[in-house]
Amino acid sequence: MNALLIYVVSGITIGATYALIGSGFVVVHRVTHVVNFTQGTLAVFGGLISYSLLSFSIPHGLAEVLAVLLTGLIGLVFAFVTIGKRGTPPLTALLITLGLSILSEGIFVTIWGQAPIAPEGLGGATVLLGASIENQRLLTAGISAIAFILLGIFFGRTYLGKGMTAAASNPRAAALVGIDSRRMGFIAFAIAGMLGGLAGVVTAPFSPISFSSDLPLALGGFAAAVFGGLSSPWLTVVGGLVLGISGQLVAGYFGGSYQTVAALVMLLVVMIARHKSLSAEEAK
Amino acid sequence: MNPSMKRAIPTAVVALIAILIPLFLNDKTVYVQTVLSAVVVVGLSLFMGYAGQASLGQGAFVAVGALTVAVSTVSFNVPPLIALIAAPVTSAGLAYVLGLPLLRLRGHYLAFGTLAVLLLVGALMGGVPILGGGAGIVGIPSLGIGSLVVTGQLFFAYLALAVLAVTMVVSRNVISSRFGRGVRAVAGSESAAASSGVPVLRTKLAVFALAGGCAGLVGGITAFFIPYVSAESFPPSMSFTYVIMAVIGGLGTLWGGVVGAVVVSVLVQALNTISNIPGTPPIVGLILQYAAYAIILILFLLYMPRGLWPTVGDAVKRRLAKRVKRSQTDYSDQHA
Amino acid sequence: MLTLEDVVIRYGSATAVDGVSISVEKGEMVALVGPNGAGKSSIVNAISGVTPVASGTIIVDGASAQVPEGRQMFADMSVDDNLRLGAWRVKDRNPAAIYELLPDLARMKDQKAGTLSGGQQQMVAVGRALMAGPDLLLVDELSLGLAPLVVADLANYLIELNASRGTTILLIEQEVDLAFRMCARAYVLEAGRIVASGASATLAADPQLSAAYLGGIEAAADRKRTK
Repeated sequence: MNALLIYVVSGITIGATYALIGSGFVVVHRVTHVVNFTQGTLAVFGGLISYSLLSFSIPHGLAEVLAVLLTGLIGLVFAFVTIGKRGTPPLTALLITLGLSILSEGIFVTIWGQAPIAPEGLGGATVLLGASIENQRLLTAGISAIAFILLGIFFGRTYLGKGMTAAASNPRAAALVGIDSRRMGFIAFAIAGMLGGLAGVVTAPFSPISFSSDLPLALGGFAAAVFGGLSSPWLTVVGGLVLGISGQLVAGYFGGSYQTVAALVMLLVVMIARHKSLSAEEAK
Repeated sequence: MNPSMKRAIPTAVVALIAILIPLFLNDKTVYVQTVLSAVVVVGLSLFMGYAGQASLGQGAFVAVGALTVAVSTVSFNVPPLIALIAAPVTSAGLAYVLGLPLLRLRGHYLAFGTLAVLLLVGALMGGVPILGGGAGIVGIPSLGIGSLVVTGQLFFAYLALAVLAVTMVVSRNVISSRFGRGVRAVAGSESAAASSGVPVLRTKLAVFALAGGCAGLVGGITAFFIPYVSAESFPPSMSFTYVIMAVIGGLGTLWGGVVGAVVVSVLVQALNTISNIPGTPPIVGLILQYAAYAIILILFLLYMPRGLWPTVGDAVKRRLAKRVKRSQTDYSDQHA
Repeated sequence: MLTLEDVVIRYGSATAVDGVSISVEKGEMVALVGPNGAGKSSIVNAISGVTPVASGTIIVDGASAQVPEGRQMFADMSVDDNLRLGAWRVKDRNPAAIYELLPDLARMKDQKAGTLSGGQQQMVAVGRALMAGPDLLLVDELSLGLAPLVVADLANYLIELNASRGTTILLIEQEVDLAFRMCARAYVLEAGRIVASGASATLAADPQLSAAYLGGIEAAADRKRTK
C-alpha cells in the first residue's frame, strides 16, 4: 500500500511533466498545425539554465522564473526560424524543429557538457499517509496545477488568448477581423517554450537532465498530447497523468527497464486506437 | 544515338566514378557507409516521396536486419549467406506486420509512431539477452559460402554499390509500373486514389515493406562489415539523418536519395575532418559537428524545400529550354 | 469612399480579376453581381487586404469590415466572443451597442456560434463586422444558403443600417433580383471583368444583359422556387 502510494505520487509528478510538455505541443499545434519537436529540448534548456542561474548565486525563485522566461524567449527564436517564412508545410516545419533540436544538443554539450545535471531544488521530504515523498515532487505537482489553471484562464478569459483560439478555429475569419495568425503562432511558440522550460525547471532537481534528455521528454509529452488529439489541453493533462502513473506502476512492479517499453507501447496503442479522429484533425 | 542510350551515358559515368573511388581510398569505411545509407534513403525516399508519408524510425529496420544476421549466425549457427538473405526478408516482413496498424496513421502521427517503433526496438535490444542485452553481440562470422570466405573493405565497397544499383533498378521498375502509379496517386490524395480504385493501405504497406527491406539488407551487410551489433549501434540520430538525406536530396526522386546521402555524408565527413585538425579547440569541433550540420539542414528545408535533385534538375532543364527557345524565336524577353 | 482602379488579381498563372474599376461614394449602397467564379469574392478579399493584388490600386477612405461568404463563425466560441473578436483592430470592444441594434444577438450571446442556424450566424457575422466600426461594410453573399424570409429580414436590416447610420455598403450577391432590390446602383462582373454598370433599374430592364450574364431575373426567381 505504501509502495503503491509512492508510485502513484511519483507518477503524478512525472505525468505533470509530460502534461506540461504536451500542452506545449497542443498550444503550438492548435494555432500553427506544426508539431514542435523542440518541446523536449526546451525542457532541457529550462533545467540547465536554472542550474546556471543558481550557480551565479541568483536566489531561488528568481532564478527559476528567469529560466522559464528565457525558455519562452528561446521558443520565440525557434518560432522565427520555423514559421517565420511563409508557406512552409507542417511536415517540413517538423523537420526544421528537428534540426533546431540537433542544434540545441550542440549548444548543451558546448555549454554544460555531457553529464546529467541536477539544479538544487527544494530539499527534504514530507510524510504523506505513511509514505515519504520528496518535497520537490510535491512542488512540481503544485506548480504544474497552477500552470494549467493559468493556461486555462489565458485561453478562456483573456482577449489575446481568445484571439489565438479564434485563429486556430477559423484562420480565414481571424484574418478578416485582423488577427495575424503568424503573430499568434509566434506567441504560441513562446508559451510552449515557457511550458517546456517550466517542466525542465521543476523536474530537473529530482530527475537530472542532460543533452540527450530531449527525446524521451518530447516523446512523453507528445504521447500525452495525443490523448487530446493534439488539440485538447485538458485531455493532455489526463493523458500525462495516465502515462506517468502507469509508467511508475510498471517500473515499480515489473522493473525500470519496462517503463520505456510501456510508455512507447501506450503511445502507439493510443494513436492507433484514435487514428480515425486523429487523421480527421490532420486533414483539416 | 537513340534517346534512352543518351540518357544512360550520365548514369554510366556516375557508376564508373563510383567503382573507381574505393580503389583510391585507404580506409573505405566512410565509402561503404555512405553507399549503404544511400540504399536506405532510396527506399525511404520512395516511401516519403511517392507514398507521401514520413518515417522517423527507418533505423529500426536497419537494426532488425543487423539483428537477424547477428542472432542467427552467432546463436543458431546459420550460414552467413542465408543470414544475409534473411535480413531484408525479416525487416520487410516486420515492416509489413507493423505497417498494418501503423500506416493507418498519417503525417505527424506516423512520424512519431515510427520513432516509437525505433525506440522500442532499441529498448528490446538493450533489455533482451538473446538480442544482445546491454553488451551487444560479438563474434559475427565473416561473410562467405562454406570455406570460401570474403574479407576486406574493397569487397564490401562493391557489395554495397551492387546493392545500391539493384535497389535503384527495382525502385525504378516499381515507380514506372501500374502499381507505381497507384503509389503516386496515394501521395497526391488518399481519398482520390481510393475512389479511383487504388487499394490505399495495401499500396502504402507494399512501399513501407520495400523500404523496410532495403533498410534490412543494409543492416545485414553492416553486421558483417562492422561485425558488432548493439542497442547503441542504431541511435535515433541515425534515423533522423536518413530523413535529412532524403529531404536534402529531394523526396520522390530516385537520384535524390543518392545525392542526399552523398552530400550529407561528405558534409559530415568534412566537418569531422576540420574539427580533427590539430590545434582546433574542442569547442569549435563540437560546434562544427552539431551546429553547422543542423544549420545547413534548416537552411535547406527553408530555401530548397524540394531538395537538391529536383531543384537543380529543373534549373538545368529551364536553362536548356530557354536556349532552345532563344535559337528558335525572339520572344526570350517574355521570360525576363 | 471606395475606389478600385484597374485592379488585377492572379492566383498563380490564372487571372481571377482582370482590370476592374469600381467606385462607391460615401453613404451609397452598391451591388456587385455576377455568376459563380466571376471574381467577386477575390475583389472583396482584396479590398479587405487578405488577397494581394497583382496590379492596380484600391483606395478605401476609412475603415472597412467584411461579412465573409459562408459566415465563417468561430464555431466553438460564444456569440459574445465572436462579436468582441470583431473589434480586434479597434479599442472599443464592448458589444453593447450591437446588442441594442440587433436585440436577437443579445438573447443568444452565450450560445456557441456553431450551434446557431444559418440566419442567426449571418446576423452574428454582420454584428461582428460592425464591431470594427467600419465606414465601409463589405457583405459577401448575404443570401447564400438561407431561406427567403430570413434573407428578407437581413436585407431590411442592412438597408436600415445604410439609411440611418450612413454606413457605405458594397453587397456581393449571386441573387441578382435581391441585389437590385437592395441597391440603387450595381456593377455586373463576368469572368473577371466589369461587363455592365449603372442604375439597377436600367440594368434589370436590359433584356440582352439579363439573358447573357444574369441568367434572367425570372430564372433567378425560378431557382428560388425550386429550392
